[in-house]
Amino acid sequence: MAQAAPVAQPDVELTYEIPEQVTLLSDAWRRIRRNRLALVGGGVIIVLLIVALISMVWTPYPTWLQAVGPTYQPPSPAHPLGLDNAGRDILSRIMGGALITVQVGIGSAIIVSLIGIPLGLLAGFYRGKVDTAISFVINIWYGIPDLLVALILVFVLSDALHLIPRGVLVIVIAFSLTRWMDVARLVRGQALALREREFVEAARMAGARDYALLVRHIFPNALGPIIVQATFAIPAAVLFEAFLSFLGLGLPPPTPSWGAMANDGYHGMDFAPHIVLAPTIALSITLMAFNWLGDGLRDAFDPRMRR
Amino acid sequence: MRGTLLYIGQRLVLIAITTVLVSSIVFVLLHQIPGNAFLNETRTSPESLAADLRHYGLDKPLGTQYVNWVSGVLHGNLGESLVNRGVMITPLLVREASVSATVGFFALLVTVGLGLILGVIAALRQNTWADYVASSAAVVGYSVPSFVIGIFFLLIFGHYFFEWTQGTVFYNVGWGDWTQIPVPAIALGLPYASYVARLTRASMLETIRTDYVRTAWAKGLKARIVVLRHALRNALIPVVTILGPLITGIITGSVVIENIFGIPGLGKEFVTSILARDYNIVIGVFTFYAALVGLANLTVDVIYPALDPRIRY
Repeated sequence: MAQAAPVAQPDVELTYEIPEQVTLLSDAWRRIRRNRLALVGGGVIIVLLIVALISMVWTPYPTWLQAVGPTYQPPSPAHPLGLDNAGRDILSRIMGGALITVQVGIGSAIIVSLIGIPLGLLAGFYRGKVDTAISFVINIWYGIPDLLVALILVFVLSDALHLIPRGVLVIVIAFSLTRWMDVARLVRGQALALREREFVEAARMAGARDYALLVRHIFPNALGPIIVQATFAIPAAVLFEAFLSFLGLGLPPPTPSWGAMANDGYHGMDFAPHIVLAPTIALSITLMAFNWLGDGLRDAFDPRMRR
Repeated sequence: MRGTLLYIGQRLVLIAITTVLVSSIVFVLLHQIPGNAFLNETRTSPESLAADLRHYGLDKPLGTQYVNWVSGVLHGNLGESLVNRGVMITPLLVREASVSATVGFFALLVTVGLGLILGVIAALRQNTWADYVASSAAVVGYSVPSFVIGIFFLLIFGHYFFEWTQGTVFYNVGWGDWTQIPVPAIALGLPYASYVARLTRASMLETIRTDYVRTAWAKGLKARIVVLRHALRNALIPVVTILGPLITGIITGSVVIENIFGIPGLGKEFVTSILARDYNIVIGVFTFYAALVGLANLTVDVIYPALDPRIRY
């Protein structure tokens, strides 16, 4: 499981050249290495990434190709996970679904951060009216049933207005527009605390402008908690995509989304349970891995947990 | 007491504002859509289409429609179904909400009950097999989404139970019989139960090491009283703070659960209406949900000071 390291902490090689200096990342890496669940989670995520990469160039059968064998065929040597209700190879579709999952997860983490970090920084740094306004929006946003708004957004943006084709992008956007508050609130808290620290005061005295203070001093020091919060956005986004596709409101067929596959199998569950089991188990393992890694990262980045 | 009432009053006003505000966004969004629910139907004449548009007030400018809609909402009237003419939305949703509320209530019972029991056992028997079993169950449980649990339950109770017991005992999908409540309620509540269990375990571990709990043990109180009255009551405080998001989660989770188990509640209506393009019902259900989420959060905030007298409004 040692190979779990590079993806979790990409900059780790840089810090080895100066061993006596403990950076945020090397310190976090030292602690996460001792957390077995987080390592297992990281390992699963690496497998997921590799499968997603492979599926871009090769799957045993095309994910959309129907009738490669009898429909509803249970697992066999030729088709390790069996065939679905249209005679498509489930293993190929699980692999394709891994790519969708990775795209949705990483895309959402990025967009959530792009919305949440600037708003949080502004609210925490300028306080006063800016903070009141942004905090008010955050509180209102927390009061809405987020999944339902996102569902309506997907429907309106792609089906009705045809602004964005129904696909990964519209799901990522809808998710991010309804779930940016966690990151914003966290960054706001961090900025509120950090702006009072001596190094910010020193930088201000040296003549740094607000922009430089925010980008070069406050933001880098809040990076640990931001990474943790963004990691937790990934399983939420993956679940959201599966939820939508399961209801038939997500990615259009024949996209091999795990949620849509679960919906395909759900109707023939009585006589062909393998169709519904494969995507739901893949989804559960993925969500578990991200949650474990997120928990591990949180413990690793939280200085109060230092043991 | 007067402060509490004032606080509740203020919150109710805020909830009403939030609900109308958020529903307005949905209203405006859905009214940007070119065409409407009538477009898909086979029309014999443009006159009948015009008559339908006039009937629903859809021929008026958007501003007028919006004003009419808001005044309707404030009077508790959510309008008429676009697809099934003559069906008024408010009574329909009230009926469906009672179904959803039944499932949601039992799901919440599962969540809090099971979560607390597992969490307390894990904390009291820290680092024994009971702790490991409870903690690992929680770690797995909170990652498995409720619709996956729902599918597994359907497979086990609806299908395998039928085979094992030769068709005598099994779960029948649908609604109308009390025996059809537990399976969907457990499926809906389980992921959140694991979450509550984790939280309870952590906060129980903190409280059972405090001085006042040690004092309670030292003066010879019964274990039941020490655990329930001294330790658990204080350990509950962080658990209560997540009840708000928890109820929101159960409400949104019920959308999928109701569709899987064929329960005629708000969630099923929501999805059916989106697919049928019955925008009036979509906006109506949404308004309903927004108000529900607000009221749930308010209830939690009112319960909070009862547990922790240090909290005042």
